[in-house]
Amino acid sequence: MACPFCGLRPLEEFLFRKTVPNVVTGSGNGAAAGTDVTDSASAYAQVYLRVDSAERSVEEWQHVAGCRAWLLVDRNPSTGVVRSVALLGGTQ
Amino acid sequence: MVPGVRYGTRLQDGVVRFTFDGRTYEGRQGDTAASALLANGVVWFGRSVKSRRLRGVMTAGPEEPCALLTVGEYPNVVPNVPATECVLHDGMVLRSQNRWPSLEFDFASLLQWGGGLFTAGFYYKTFFLPGWRAFEPLIRRLAGLGMAPGPAAADSAANRPPLEEHVTCDLLVVGAGPAGLAAARVAARNGLQVVVVEREPAIGGETEFEESVIDSQAAHHWLKAAIASAAARIRQGSRNPRRVPRPEPGSVRVLLQTTAVAIASDSVVAYRERNEPTNFRIHARQVLNAVGAQEQPLVFVGNDLPGVQMLGGAERFAALYGWVPKEPVVLFGNHDRLYASALRLRGQGARVVAIVDTRPFNANSDHLRDEAGADEWRRAACSLLQAVGVECLTGSTVRVACGGRRLRSVEVVAIAGTADTREIRCGSLLMSGGWLPRRALPVGTIVGAAAGCLDLAAAVASGHAGGVAVLQQTGLLAAVAEISATPLATGDPSPRVEPYLRSPCATHEEKRQYLDLQNDVTVADLRVAIAEGFTHIEHAKRYTTLGIGTDQGRWGGHVGAAILADLQGLPSATASTSKDRPPLASVSLQAIAGWRVGDSFRLVRRTPLHDWHVAHGGNPEPMGLWFRPRFYAANGKDAASAAMVEAGRVRQIGGIADCSTLGKLEIAGPDAAAFLDEVYLSRPSTLAVGRSRYAVQLREDGIVLDDGLVLRLAEDRFLATTSSGHGLHVLSHLEHHRAHRASLRVSVADVTDCWAVIAVAGRASADALRTLLGRDPQELSPMAFWDWSGPLQGVGVAGQGGQRLRVLRAGFSGELSFELHCSPALALPLWEALQVGGLEPYGLDALDILRVEKGYLTTSEITGQVTPLDLGMEAMVAKAGPSLGLKLLQRPAFHEPQRPRLVGLRAVDGRSSFLAGAQLTVGPKDRVPMGYVTSSVFSAQLGETVALAFAARDVAPLGARLCARDPLRGRDVQVRVVAPVHFDPAGERLRGRY
Ligand SMILES: [Zn+2]
Repeated sequence: MACPFCGLRPLEEFLFRKTVPNVVTGSGNGAAAGTDVTDSASAYAQVYLRVDSAERSVEEWQHVAGCRAWLLVDRNPSTGVVRSVALLGGTQ
Repeated sequence: MVPGVRYGTRLQDGVVRFTFDGRTYEGRQGDTAASALLANGVVWFGRSVKSRRLRGVMTAGPEEPCALLTVGEYPNVVPNVPATECVLHDGMVLRSQNRWPSLEFDFASLLQWGGGLFTAGFYYKTFFLPGWRAFEPLIRRLAGLGMAPGPAAADSAANRPPLEEHVTCDLLVVGAGPAGLAAARVAARNGLQVVVVEREPAIGGETEFEESVIDSQAAHHWLKAAIASAAARIRQGSRNPRRVPRPEPGSVRVLLQTTAVAIASDSVVAYRERNEPTNFRIHARQVLNAVGAQEQPLVFVGNDLPGVQMLGGAERFAALYGWVPKEPVVLFGNHDRLYASALRLRGQGARVVAIVDTRPFNANSDHLRDEAGADEWRRAACSLLQAVGVECLTGSTVRVACGGRRLRSVEVVAIAGTADTREIRCGSLLMSGGWLPRRALPVGTIVGAAAGCLDLAAAVASGHAGGVAVLQQTGLLAAVAEISATPLATGDPSPRVEPYLRSPCATHEEKRQYLDLQNDVTVADLRVAIAEGFTHIEHAKRYTTLGIGTDQGRWGGHVGAAILADLQGLPSATASTSKDRPPLASVSLQAIAGWRVGDSFRLVRRTPLHDWHVAHGGNPEPMGLWFRPRFYAANGKDAASAAMVEAGRVRQIGGIADCSTLGKLEIAGPDAAAFLDEVYLSRPSTLAVGRSRYAVQLREDGIVLDDGLVLRLAEDRFLATTSSGHGLHVLSHLEHHRAHRASLRVSVADVTDCWAVIAVAGRASADALRTLLGRDPQELSPMAFWDWSGPLQGVGVAGQGGQRLRVLRAGFSGELSFELHCSPALALPLWEALQVGGLEPYGLDALDILRVEKGYLTTSEITGQVTPLDLGMEAMVAKAGPSLGLKLLQRPAFHEPQRPRLVGLRAVDGRSSFLAGAQLTVGPKDRVPMGYVTSSVFSAQLGETVALAFAARDVAPLGARLCARDPLRGRDVQVRVVAPVHFDPAGERLRGRY
């Protein structure tokens, strides 16, 4: 996987955390959606609900054995092809 | 043949001595076990797995299904090594497999006399009453492939990890035959960085034995030149896995004895077993597969007899190792290569007596007429051969290979017309049924023989075109034509294969038409499979065991699939073969995981005091990646009695414990306080500088993640401690939250290894520290700390030269206690100074007794399934700010009355003991547990077992009687519910009031 900081690195350096909810249905961008679990209306949905799509999955990964950046990975779970890797939460 | 007079391209000067089944043999340097044993006249290499038939050497490569050896002496044995791949060195110990008591006489082979006993499905049908287990011991004795290695010695090579090397390149070529090297050559000449992996120890593929010419040079010279100039500039690969070596621009790096075995994410994994075992991860922009073609067997009765071999294999033995059969030789096949091979083998000294070619002359086949004059070449070759006494039988087939324990003669019949049977005496039958592409990784383009280009000219042109296509995609194709001109090659003529499936035979003879030599699968077995309904190749494979051996069906898998289709009246040309799965070549488990034992099993973290603990009987035990002393041997003969002594001493006098394994995270920045309020329940923002607080953090779903202390070091700087096993996880959690709160100006750093921690507990702790610091530590109010600078009695000076010391009044024992956080270098002097002051070390088991007596929590209670409400932290939750996890903590299920809650337990009789893990029920007859015991210790202070547990709050109020049930380890014990704090509930000792 290509880390924005470290370039192409072997997969075992990365740690998967979760699939970002509601990306496919488009309720806001994933970076903002994952966090705000203190908002009672969305807390449950944010933690437990997601659209499982065979074509697209936006996920949170950490380059845990590298620069430790948290990443937003947009990939196709059927083929394993990674569409994009962005920094989680924008510029850090 | 006497060793030493053979000539072969792989042979070097020098003799190697080795043993095979206890007998000593001599071979030449460079010999494989197969070539050396053949040269010594050995015919039998092993027996088959199922019906124990004697087997010789069938091939000369990794596809060898018969001649499998166990190499080495127990415990350092490697089973199932193809003799054809086993390069000899002096003193090697080899054994044949699947025979008992000896290769020549095998007990189990007597079973064959039962006649067709081991047909497909035999095990399933025969051993199903009175039950598989009754037969299993006997079958296990007879089954299995070779001998498994035993535990390897600690210092053996088996315990070393393979080297790991990442390689990047523009083009990866798999296979260093003519096609692969033609591709590598043109790519490198035009500036690409090329890596070539080759399974064999030499480049060249079939040009190693086929006289051939490329661009007017001997082919192998041309191929060497194609890579030599570029290869000279390549650095050797680095041993350091972190460095990524990259070839110079326009270069070819050839990795010999290396096999591309799998694809992992976007890189190709190639493995080299020999010399230094190495895993290569090859990151290539483009991949060309030039893996070549696999010669296919022919199916006739007795095609497994020792003496029957693949023609291509025999040619390799002749050219590479100088061995040809001594007995009369018959060639059998369905293409023109037979004639070229016959001429070559004669030149090597073989007595070729006949060629049996399934293709007739003047055939009406369109396929043959297409190539005008092609039959002319064959006619010319025939008359040449016949002139020197080689009989050429065209339009004929070998029906039966005859002989008991080895080949004696073949029975040849004409395919069409009269049933004219000939018997030809011979000791060697070399067969070749054409070629099919070898298995390749499912990536990149296929070129050369693997793409069907079976003659040298076409293969070289195909490889070259593949390289040019790669260049065109990268836009790098040089304008200079001569660099990129297609090489002209000539070798053997195009073989003009005409498919031939199997020779005719009676149905009862089909059980000797072999398709899988390792597992004795025959055409008869396929008939049984079809009759039973296993008509798909994937089903038939599993039912008959076709292709499940170590050769993975490389020898007869394709033919078997074609015959399975043919038996069902389907066109065999369209038959599908079973799915290939990685790894493409056998890789020893050793290389993948076998070395991950002992210290290599996982990383080890040691505290700065580790060596002291070891030297003083501290029994360091693994705890996560850490090692912590469990108890000190001087205090008792076993863990239980030593821990009792140590815990008692802490309660009476005091003690010290190494708590350096606590995770330590520093959180700093203008928004650090606000950030921590979002992740901890206990509002760290309200802490005063120089004070600390017990703090709990939740996951997003309301479950407790971890607990620890938060210290405010400065307005904008905090230190958070975590449980020993949780440091990295909590760090990741904080980093994750920080990523989401990008606007907060805060950073998180792991400082676990920067600080050693010594717990100083008990009434004597104050005196010891007063001596050390020259100041009464009880001036610290509970949970306050000093960043200490100044002289330390007998130790040195803190606050200078990077030697830091922090004195915190807090503890995990319920006593008046302190934590010394110090630079690792200070840990040992402090530890020893405190002992001079009268405090003795206590271990983890004592620590556990002390904390259970006080109802303090560890991961036994914080299990990842409990909420702060379950732990009785309602007050902390009520006071918390808007922190992570609070919203989902409001879910109704967390508030149900039957939800288990932390309680203390004691035996009703005040004597009985009960263990952690015991299940709690209300009545002794209830079958459904309502809770369980999490921790239980014998408290010498209280004279009885005290425990912590989770019990449903509705039926387990204080004072309730429950039953702790532990049917496997103990008896049922009546217990009563008490408060979790068993000892000193008022906390007098914490305040130093003794
Ligand atoms: Zn990175």
